[in-house]
Amino acid sequence: MTDLLAVRDIRKSFGGVHAVDGVSLSVPQGSTTGLIGPNGAGKSTALGVIAGALRADGGTVEFDGDDISGLPPMNRARRGLIRTFQTSSPFSRLTVLENLLVAAQNNPGETLLGAVLLGKRSWRRHERELVDRARELMAQFEMTDKEDEWAGNLSGGQKRLLEIMRGLMARPKLLLLDEPMAGVNPTLARGIEGHLERLRHDGLTMLMIEHELGVVERLCDRVIVMAQGKVISEGTMESLRTEQEVLDAYLVG
Amino acid sequence: MSTAWQFYFSTLAIYLAVDIMAVWGLNLQFGVAGISSFAFIMFQAIGAYVASVLTLGPAQPTSFQQYIGGANLPFPLPLLAAGLAGGLLALVVGLISLRRLRTDYQAMVMLVISLTATYVVDNETHLFNGPAGLSLVPKPLFDSLGLSLISYQWFYVGLSAVICVLIYLVVRRFTGSPLGRAMRAARDNEHAAAALGKNVLALRMTAFVAGGVIAGISGAVFVDFIGAWSPGSWLYPETFVYFTAILVGGTGNNVGVAVGALLVPIGFLEATRYLPNIGYPGFVDALEWVAVGVLALIFLWFWPRGVIPERKRRFPRAGEERRRFGVLALRGRS
Repeated sequence: MTDLLAVRDIRKSFGGVHAVDGVSLSVPQGSTTGLIGPNGAGKSTALGVIAGALRADGGTVEFDGDDISGLPPMNRARRGLIRTFQTSSPFSRLTVLENLLVAAQNNPGETLLGAVLLGKRSWRRHERELVDRARELMAQFEMTDKEDEWAGNLSGGQKRLLEIMRGLMARPKLLLLDEPMAGVNPTLARGIEGHLERLRHDGLTMLMIEHELGVVERLCDRVIVMAQGKVISEGTMESLRTEQEVLDAYLVG
Repeated sequence: MSTAWQFYFSTLAIYLAVDIMAVWGLNLQFGVAGISSFAFIMFQAIGAYVASVLTLGPAQPTSFQQYIGGANLPFPLPLLAAGLAGGLLALVVGLISLRRLRTDYQAMVMLVISLTATYVVDNETHLFNGPAGLSLVPKPLFDSLGLSLISYQWFYVGLSAVICVLIYLVVRRFTGSPLGRAMRAARDNEHAAAALGKNVLALRMTAFVAGGVIAGISGAVFVDFIGAWSPGSWLYPETFVYFTAILVGGTGNNVGVAVGALLVPIGFLEATRYLPNIGYPGFVDALEWVAVGVLALIFLWFWPRGVIPERKRRFPRAGEERRRFGVLALRGRS
């Protein structure tokens, strides 16, 4: 399998703290890769560097064969590198459906030319296709009845689902998930896990930060373990369970 | 209706048209794109100045007023130039304040720019005649139409209404399109918008410059009517009158903010005109600002969505499509 994402020796410090201290990792095409580690291990920082939200102090990020280290988040997203956030980030004063529509890429109605000069005729057909696709997505995620709800009024779990759906609407090549089940009740967490399992089955490549090791074991082909800003191990969850260093990291952290 | 009342109501109607244009411009910047555009009144001011000097002939050395760029241009060229000037100024201010700054600092920078501009125009008297301002700006088409004063008043009401409608059609293309939706997304959460490939800066600049163009045109319509414009007309509190109009009317809703323009700058401020003169001269005028501030606070606390809140955009399902589009067809294609 070729690597869709290849991260080499990235570093990021905040003040004197080396949050990410020379991390190299890769995500093979079509895999679901888990990123685990104790609190403060630097997982979210690493994800932020990969997505471009944080500027790395060093190292390179290669995506789909290109070096994207210097690109801002929007250009990485346009190449198909889409992330979700650890804290839900809905567009509160847009409806659920609008949240999905806005995530679509290359929308002719989002240009000054299409929206203002040419007018509705130039984008209406495209818009209808997007609405259809968004409704399909909502049906898959059992959110159809929330279509016209303000996204800001959704429950915590529904916001997590919206976050994933919105990412999918952008047609990602790689989906970065930062604790997709954080702060939701166990029933809903199982629901989200089911949805992710389905996406994995469909062949979507994912890199996922998750604390719940049972989830990681069920969902992820490979697991990368971070502690204190470094990668300390990687492999299948089964093989990792036997490694003393991994156990120590969790017990100490 | 007596001529005096006709003058009064036609003047109010023109003020209303100007204010409605202005709040649509500000609503694009603040309501749709989420920019705290505290320098907004500057865009209206530059439109008014540019329209004035381009309508006036070249300044004579012996004249009572000095200014740059007298050009004697015929209507509607000064109006269009005013829009251009408003847009250009917004482009410059936007490039200074919308890049690399958190939104709270953006608001501060704009307020400072607005204050600075007033000082510059006040003191650089060769630009626009300093604190005395420009006056005797010829009314557009007044000589060629040959109407009586009162008939011209009503003609100008019609003219400003037409410009208002044209602006509305353009504004709707922003707010009713995926472009407007992307602007609102960037308003609600800029990081999430960027993470979905949106160019947040470009979206904000677009809304900001479009708002500047509209504000410039509104300033031109205003100055062509009253024939005079001075720095006293565009002090920074004027911006907050428009902000209050938007908060009262309904942030993000074009119809709402137009109602806000009717309620606040026209209704509310006109009503204070009928207050008895108490205290020292100018006391009641000063109270106006207090009243506008209190009104804004009341709405922010108790009615933050305004009289006509931002509406939900619903999308017709397959079965509803024909009926919904039938109604839309009546409303026009835009």
